[in-house]
This record gives sequence, structure tokens and C-alpha cells, in this order.
Amino acid sequence: MKKYFRSGATCVGSLLIFFPFAIARGNQAASGTPQAAAPPDLNGVWSAPFTPDISKVLGHQPPFTPYGAARFAKEDEIDDPLTKCLPIGPARGIQAGIMPFQIVQTPAVFTILFENQHTFRIIHTDGRSHPKDLDPTWFGDSIGKWEGDTLVVDTIGLDDRTWLDTAGHEHSDQLHLVERFQKVDNDNIKWTVTFEDPKFFTEPWSITLPIARQNTEIMSYSCEENEKDRDHLVRTKK
Amino acid sequence: MRTMSFVALGLAFLVLSVSTPVLAHHGFSVEFDKDSPLTLTGTVTKMEFMNPHIYFYVDVKGEDGKVVNWAFEGGPPNVIYRQGWRKDTLKPGDVVTVKGFRAKDGTHLAACSTVKLPDGREVSAGSGGVSQDAYGSGGADGKK
Repeated sequence: MKKYFRSGATCVGSLLIFFPFAIARGNQAASGTPQAAAPPDLNGVWSAPFTPDISKVLGHQPPFTPYGAARFAKEDEIDDPLTKCLPIGPARGIQAGIMPFQIVQTPAVFTILFENQHTFRIIHTDGRSHPKDLDPTWFGDSIGKWEGDTLVVDTIGLDDRTWLDTAGHEHSDQLHLVERFQKVDNDNIKWTVTFEDPKFFTEPWSITLPIARQNTEIMSYSCEENEKDRDHLVRTKK
Repeated sequence: MRTMSFVALGLAFLVLSVSTPVLAHHGFSVEFDKDSPLTLTGTVTKMEFMNPHIYFYVDVKGEDGKVVNWAFEGGPPNVIYRQGWRKDTLKPGDVVTVKGFRAKDGTHLAACSTVKLPDGREVSAGSGGVSQDAYGSGGADGKK
């Protein structure tokens, strides 16, 4: 009797232990969807080519609204917010060329640390939505989700004082950025950014730049440390 | 071993100095004139290895015998550090030949493209707008 009891207890115990796994396997088999693979690891120091004139990458000027065209026609590099040591902004920071950036990636947050002016972006990847009633900020509000090997980042709430490049392409606080960070291999990322801004552009437009891993560390940068140029700048447009 | 490291650093310095895409905190054309190139030889009086650009100063004797202290702007210190520059790459007393472009406001200021060091090496100083091998660039000011 004891023997039977022991055997029965072992049976029940085995069921209790393995039953949940059996259900899980059954569900997986029924839905046909294997467990999601871990997202690619993009940790490291990276940079994209310096892009002083975004229209040269695009092959033509962006599809300006009349207002956007008028703003670009009168804009002068002397008014570039970087000359005032103001923050570079989310997309232009990626395009900063020889000043690299570091990606620090966790499951809930994808952080980009820019060497340029020691600024940073925090991209929430925990499934949250954009907050309502956003006040514009220099780097806006970014949320991201993984689509296979690609992180898709959606950014709104951007301060209209940043520029998109050195050439003077501007935007309004209605700018909506969609970026795709696609891991190509261990040392390369394909970065595509789409600019949507009904005040400046008639339709969304995109550019793609290669991002390459850098064998370096991000270093210090302080724009105000020994700024001497501002007094020498001259207007190039009358 | 130490000699080999020094040689390697020197080689990296020369190789990396060939081409320098630049992101300054200002556009080239709002401060310097690409149509006013200059080459000046003189004695270094001061080196400022600081952000957002390095600055160094050179006493240059003119044809009239008068000495003028020129200011030269180079690239950001972190950028040229990666190319091999250090705080003491230029020291007061060094005799150098500097190539660059004069400031548009007519002061004795120029963007420095290259410096010929006392040991004969000619190295990029990370500014001067002459080699922006960058996307969207095609001219000296990155806007052509």
C-alpha cells in the first residue's frame, strides 16, 4: 500500500511539475509562434557620416510648403543654434560625423549618449505611449519597439529651435520623426529617418545613412569652455 | 617596444591627418573666407587645447619687420586627439608653418588646415574646411 501511495504521489508530483510546461508547449504549437527572439545587441560606440546638407543626401530639396521654402531661403548659418552652443537635436546628433555616440541598451530603455555637447536621448522600449500634452523639448519624447532586427523609434514633442543640418533646414514643433535602426552585422547599422512636419513639408521624406562601429570611447565636450568664434561670425545672406 | 608604439602613433597621426570631416559648432563660411588662403611661418606663443576648438597663437614677422600675433583655430580637441594630437604637440617657441583661411572680419584670425611641425611633419589641424569628405558636402563650407 505504501508502495502504491509513494508511486501515486510521484505521479501527481510529476504532473504538477510538468503540466504547466506541457500547456505552454501546447499553446506554442497551436499558435505556431515561437518565443520572440532577443533583440539585437547594439551596445557600443558608433558614428554616421557628417551630413552638413541633408538635401545632398536626399538628392534635392525637401518637399517644402511655401512657408518652409521661405524660411529656408532666408536662413543664415550664423543663426545655427550650435553657434550658440544649444543642443544639437535627436537626428542631427546621429549625423554629427567625427563626434561619435554611444548606445547603451537595456530591455526597457535604449539610450544614445552623444559626444557632441554631452547630450543624450532616452528611448523608452517598455511599451509605453507618448504622454498627452507634451511640452516641446530639445530631444522630444521617444518611444521604440523592435521589429525583428530593427528598432523603430517614434519621436514627437520637439523644440522648433533645433536645425536638421548646418545648411539651415528647419522644422516646427509639429515635427514627427520615425527612425529605423536596422542591425546589418556586428559593426554596421542602417539608419533611416523620416521627417514629417505639415508646417514645413508637404509630405514625409526620408534619408538613409550608414552607421559604423567605432574603436574609441566618447570623450568630453564643453561648447562654452573656450568659445571665441561668436564675435567673429558674419552674416552670409543679406 | 616603446619605440614601436611611438612609431605606430606617428604613422596613425599621418594617416588620419590626410582627411578630416569637420563638425564645428559653427559653419565654416560664416567665419572664414575660402577665397583667402594663407601660409604663415612664425613662432608659437600659446596653445589652448580646449573645446569647442583648439586655438594656438603664432608671432609672425611681416615684410615691414613688424611682428603680429595671429590666432589659429583648429578642430575640436577630442577630434584631433583621436588623430594623434596632444596638448604639447605645439609648444611655445616652436617654429611652424601654418596653412589656412583668413577670417572674414579682417582680424588676425584664421582657420588652420595644416601645420608643419618643427620635425618636418605636416599634419591636419582639423579645421580649414578643405577636406570635408562628408555626406552632403562638396565645397569648402560644406554647403556647395
